[in-house]
Amino acid sequence: MGKRKSSAKAPPKKQRPKLETTFACPFCNADKSVGCEMDREKNVGAVRCTQCKAAWSTKIHQLSEPIDVYSEWIDACEAENAS
Amino acid sequence: MYGIEDEQEEQLTLSREEAEIDENDAWAVISAYFEEKGLVRQQLDSFNDFINSSLQEIVDENKLISIKPQSQHIPGQSVDDEVEKTHEVEFQQIYLSKPIFTEGDGETAVLFPKEARLRNLTYAAPLFVDIERREKTVHPDGNEEVEVTPYPKIFLGEVPIMLRSDYCNLSARSERDLCDLGECPYDQGGYFVINGSEKVLIAQERMANNHVYVFRKSQPSKYSYVGECRSVVEGSTRTVSTMQVKMLSRAGQKGAGQCIRASIPYVRADIPILIIFRALGFVADKDILEHIVYDFGDTAMMEMLRPSIEEAFPIQSQEVALDYIGKRGSTIGATKDTRIQYARELLQKELLPHIGMEEFCETKKAYFFGYVIHRLLLVALGRREEDDRDHYGNKRLDLGGPLLANLFRQLFRKLSKDVRGYVQKCVDKGREINLTSAISKETITRGLRYSLATGNWGVVGAGEIRPGVSQVLNRLTYASTLSHLRRINSPIGREGKIAKPRQLHNSQWGMICPAETPEGQACGLVKNLALMTYISVGCASNPVLDFLQEWSTEDLEEISPSVIPKATKIFVNGVWVGIHRNPQTLVETLRTMRRQVDVSTEVGVVHDIRLQELRLYTDYGRCCRPLFIVEDQEIKVKKRDIIALQDREETGFTWQSMIEAGYIEYVDVEEEETTMIAMFINDLRLARAGEDGGRSISNIALYTHCEIHPAMILGVCASIVPFPDHNQSPRNTYQSAMGKQAMGMYVTNYQVRMDTQGYVLYYPQKPLVTTRNMEYLHFRELPAGINTIVAIACYSGYNQEDSTMMNQSSIDRGIFRSIFYRSYKTEEKKQGSLVQEAIERPNREITAGTRHGTYDKLDDDGIAPPGTRVSGDDIVIGKTSPIPDDGSGMPQRYTKKDASTALRHSESGMIDSVLVTTGNDGQKFVKMRVRSVRIPQVGDKFASRHGQKGTIGITYTQEDMPFSGEGICPDLIINPHAIPSRMTIGHMVEALMSKVAACMGKEGDATPFTSVTVDNISAALHRCGYQSRGWEVMYNGYTGRQLQAQIFLNPTYYQRLKHMVDDKIHSRGRGPVQILTRQPVEGRARDGGLRFGEMERDCIISHGAAAFLKERLYDQSDAYRVHVCSTCGLVAVANLKKNQFYCTACKNTTGIVQVFIPYACKLLFQELMAMCIAPRMVRGQRRGGMAAAAVAVAAAAAGPPADTVDPQLLQHALQHYPRIILGTGSSSRKGIMDELAAEHGFAYEIAKADIDEKAIRHEDARHLVLRLAHAKAAAIAAKLEAAQDGGPGCSGLLITCDQVVLHEGNILEKPEDEAQARAYIAGYARAPAKTVGSVMLTDLATGRSWEGVDEAEIHFSPIPQDSVDALIAEGEVFWCAGGLMVEHDLVQPHVTRMLGSLDSVMGLDKALVLRLLCAAGGAAAAAERGGGGGA
Repeated sequence: MGKRKSSAKAPPKKQRPKLETTFACPFCNADKSVGCEMDREKNVGAVRCTQCKAAWSTKIHQLSEPIDVYSEWIDACEAENAS
Repeated sequence: MYGIEDEQEEQLTLSREEAEIDENDAWAVISAYFEEKGLVRQQLDSFNDFINSSLQEIVDENKLISIKPQSQHIPGQSVDDEVEKTHEVEFQQIYLSKPIFTEGDGETAVLFPKEARLRNLTYAAPLFVDIERREKTVHPDGNEEVEVTPYPKIFLGEVPIMLRSDYCNLSARSERDLCDLGECPYDQGGYFVINGSEKVLIAQERMANNHVYVFRKSQPSKYSYVGECRSVVEGSTRTVSTMQVKMLSRAGQKGAGQCIRASIPYVRADIPILIIFRALGFVADKDILEHIVYDFGDTAMMEMLRPSIEEAFPIQSQEVALDYIGKRGSTIGATKDTRIQYARELLQKELLPHIGMEEFCETKKAYFFGYVIHRLLLVALGRREEDDRDHYGNKRLDLGGPLLANLFRQLFRKLSKDVRGYVQKCVDKGREINLTSAISKETITRGLRYSLATGNWGVVGAGEIRPGVSQVLNRLTYASTLSHLRRINSPIGREGKIAKPRQLHNSQWGMICPAETPEGQACGLVKNLALMTYISVGCASNPVLDFLQEWSTEDLEEISPSVIPKATKIFVNGVWVGIHRNPQTLVETLRTMRRQVDVSTEVGVVHDIRLQELRLYTDYGRCCRPLFIVEDQEIKVKKRDIIALQDREETGFTWQSMIEAGYIEYVDVEEEETTMIAMFINDLRLARAGEDGGRSISNIALYTHCEIHPAMILGVCASIVPFPDHNQSPRNTYQSAMGKQAMGMYVTNYQVRMDTQGYVLYYPQKPLVTTRNMEYLHFRELPAGINTIVAIACYSGYNQEDSTMMNQSSIDRGIFRSIFYRSYKTEEKKQGSLVQEAIERPNREITAGTRHGTYDKLDDDGIAPPGTRVSGDDIVIGKTSPIPDDGSGMPQRYTKKDASTALRHSESGMIDSVLVTTGNDGQKFVKMRVRSVRIPQVGDKFASRHGQKGTIGITYTQEDMPFSGEGICPDLIINPHAIPSRMTIGHMVEALMSKVAACMGKEGDATPFTSVTVDNISAALHRCGYQSRGWEVMYNGYTGRQLQAQIFLNPTYYQRLKHMVDDKIHSRGRGPVQILTRQPVEGRARDGGLRFGEMERDCIISHGAAAFLKERLYDQSDAYRVHVCSTCGLVAVANLKKNQFYCTACKNTTGIVQVFIPYACKLLFQELMAMCIAPRMVRGQRRGGMAAAAVAVAAAAAGPPADTVDPQLLQHALQHYPRIILGTGSSSRKGIMDELAAEHGFAYEIAKADIDEKAIRHEDARHLVLRLAHAKAAAIAAKLEAAQDGGPGCSGLLITCDQVVLHEGNILEKPEDEAQARAYIAGYARAPAKTVGSVMLTDLATGRSWEGVDEAEIHFSPIPQDSVDALIAEGEVFWCAGGLMVEHDLVQPHVTRMLGSLDSVMGLDKALVLRLLCAAGGAAAAAERGGGGGA
């Protein structure tokens, strides 16, 4: 019987990682526990940890994404810690 | 010979010196080119560049290794951190020697390629490097002490050297010297010799970096336009960093308008373009727009940007913009400062790194980024077409130099990493540093050799590896070698169906041969360079930049964007360096300087007037070609230059001088598009005279250049075709492929070479009709064909369907006779330190494994001497390897094992020469060449030079051949049907011209694109006294009668192709088989079988010839016999001699049957068993006329033991439950239970449940029967308990069961009345009935139960009315579910098919009962074991 030519298939192209929408909680450190709700009508973005229920909210604009609200929360925490 | 005599009068008016050149003079220029450059210049230039500059650059790139001691914490010792020590290792100057070889005894000598080829050595030169080690000590008081240890000329490794390159021992040798060194003077070099085999590096095509491409995307894409730039820093190994600018399609977004976003490396989301500008420090909308639109009056373009501006409105400062980008990078949860810092660095290092990676490049980057968007908008506005991926200006070719440089860079990095590791270790442990031993000479030597030898390009375990980059140089014929050295590969998947990259592109004119490409999967992906193509090796961009600076180019940093629309943008290698307000003069100066070689000649100058751009290129891998420079519609080269050129030995006026004089320049693909090239010199004359149809008057034909000759667009193989411009184009492609298989003289030194295969034609002739290109391919000196007298005629019909008839008398006189050389090779390999093979004549007495071929032809030294006639399977080199003592102390029969080399079994010949030498490691090394003469015979393949191939159908002696009035007989008769559909007019014209050439004793010129016409040739032929169209009146050889038609009888150059019947003929009755499957082996070389494939199988099936099919596929293949236990269906042990049979699984010696199956089938079963699947061969009796002994294979999962009938578990169950109660009233069930009880030796009793079955309902039959079984069990258990007076001692195993019939989706139970019973029975004729029966075992003591369901399907033919009446009368039907009684005598004959067991149909499946009993037995055993442990 003829041997089939075996050639390793090229590994599939790596997909560009998508922007995350769930984050680690700065209070309880639980991974992927912080979700974000973006209220585009009222221009308010709120983050909330599903584990420890820590929550925070801020003003958002049309370009904001969950990562922006979360990052600002981190900044706010940082500022709180510094003062 | 036949060209129109040019208007000489015009020239006479001018002085001869100042006269314009003519076409013949152009050929003098071409000759000068090839004399200077040869045919593999791209390979040599590229390799020389690697050796002369890249090598040192790579070493300099990462020359410094700096190591600080990493102190280990050792308990009890305090760290002496006062003194700070640093170790530095610096690689400095490198030195490359010429190729040398060190023998086993340590003697070193200059290595020449001939020796490397013969002795299987690598033609490589040692590389040395100066290393300096510095030990810096910084004392606490700030004093610095440096201790320097120099290591001069440390051996780094061996670098394979390209033949005929600057560092080759053959470079600049005279023809005479070359012959003395055993080289062919026509050999062009350009390849390597690795382990004795010649390797070519195939040029690899890729997309150019740092170009801006804009593409239109179609619907499924989210974007309508995408602009991209693959940015790579010049001369760095950093990977490509791609930046894209995308315009969303209208449908793909919510808001109005089309936003533009950019994706940049390491950022996970697309960023609005304005945010990137702001992050780069351009905050105001106006500032940003200035960088994109340039001209604010362009409202259409401004309008296109409105959505983008609106989108980015919330981000209005650099900080915020940077933060916005930073947040989307890989810094999640970082603080704001870190994010901003991250974004800053990202923009600096990863965004368009080719513009700059230092600080403060923001302005340049913003301009370039804006430019990309500008280009995108131009396409979006419909002002420009989208870019063409396949335009050859957008392609670059990586040749040997860059390929080796990349490989060397990786290897050198690895080496310096190893050195760092070693020094670090020494420093940390406080050991002495011995750099000489730290540098492994094997890293580079082996790394380079591995890639060149295997073609796998790249370092194993580091990055991607490209296969097929290095190939064994094709030595079939000289043209095939040349063509191989000029090959290009595009690494696109061969299976891809897209046609675009495979098609010939307009921009390939003059650079890539339009004809030479393989057919099939690689068509258009593998290309060949045209004859005069030059590949740029790359030069520094600094001189160009300096020049620009000098010539008042305004730097981007210093200009106001508002001036851009009025100026021309200047790019150097894709980097926008500035603008210029007077591009025309700048371009003129640049061109002038290039023509004076003040700037490198290979700099590409592209003035794109429409885009207002000046693009300059200095990078490597661009295809360029030389063109005559035209000024004022006149070629700058004059007759006197040609005279000087023709006399170049004296005048020293060479090709290079022509370049330096500004007569000729190299133009790359992209620049070519900005030129106006006259095809012929005559076109310029016409333009001057205003006779070009008014083109020159309307300024359309202001020529800037003139083709040197359009025939130069062809490659090596296509240049051999005479009159290719008269052929249908695919025929030229076919000939280009076939010319590579033609026999001729592949090198002049073939006698001193030991090629594994070599074909040489006895009497090769130079063709009567040649192209002028062939002169440069040395086709006259190394021809591959014979001028054959060819008649195009039908004569006896032995030349149909591309077969040809050959003149046997011509063959006897030696036409197309050839030699075939094959070389064999052996060496005395070492196995361990003591055991070594020996080349000697093996002694059959003490040698194991001797072959069946004769050993008689071996001389005393174990080698057959030259002049020995040898044939298939003869031993030609004897070799033995000692068998080590087996340690038993017994005298061994054999002390040696045979390892001889035998002649290939299908070949024969004579030993031509023998070479005995030492190999790479000093071992004895023998090569032997066998020669065989091949005389043309029926089946051998021949071809003209026009893709017209055919095999000999018959040979006729001269007297049987037709003859002409002159007594001329053809050597070959081809069939006229080969011509019309193939349209190879060139073939006819060649034949006609050959006749003229033969008559006049001259060579005919068949160069394409010349003024030769068929009428010219015909006239010349007529003048020679022949019929002008080449026809001859001919006479039948048998009868002597005149043939009715006149015959086209002319000489034509024919090639003998390497495919010969003697190498193909093959048949086999029986022979070797594969070890694994015992099927016949494959291939003629192994005396294999001829495959009886799927299509052949289909044919036989369609004929219904089953016995024949079985014979082919089984008896003649891998017939085998196994013994199968009929109980378990698995293969049993059979000892046929003792007539003993035993099934290991069943411990059974009876009921074992013999089964004939293919060996491959047996193998499959065994492999399945290894995967825990038991393929059982079940030999079952089927009722109702089915084949009784059909062998069915029932694959049953060999699961846990409870699932199958384990005799042990069954026994256990019967012991544990002495009392077995069957809860049923059915007589058929009783019958089955009786059988079971008898088979397994137990007793049972009966109990009836008497429940209301109609009270229990379920739509699913399986559930229903289980529920009923449960209900019956419960009822009987209650009854028994009551009978025992409620005592608890009630024990035993209760078997309850139930069955329903499923028919046409309805559940049928016992029929209630006669009408229902009749209806049920009548229904079975329509559709098969299915019985669903449950069995449930209940342990009365514990209440544990086991249950199962079994199904069976019964197909009936209609039951006759009287039978039904009888059944109803009997009344038994009312007690059966569905009124179904298959076993009844009246019913049984009407059962056509039964799937499932009979007992299952009758209400109690034996197998199921046994399985459940086993399960119960297993549970009981487990309980006993558990109970015992507890006690």
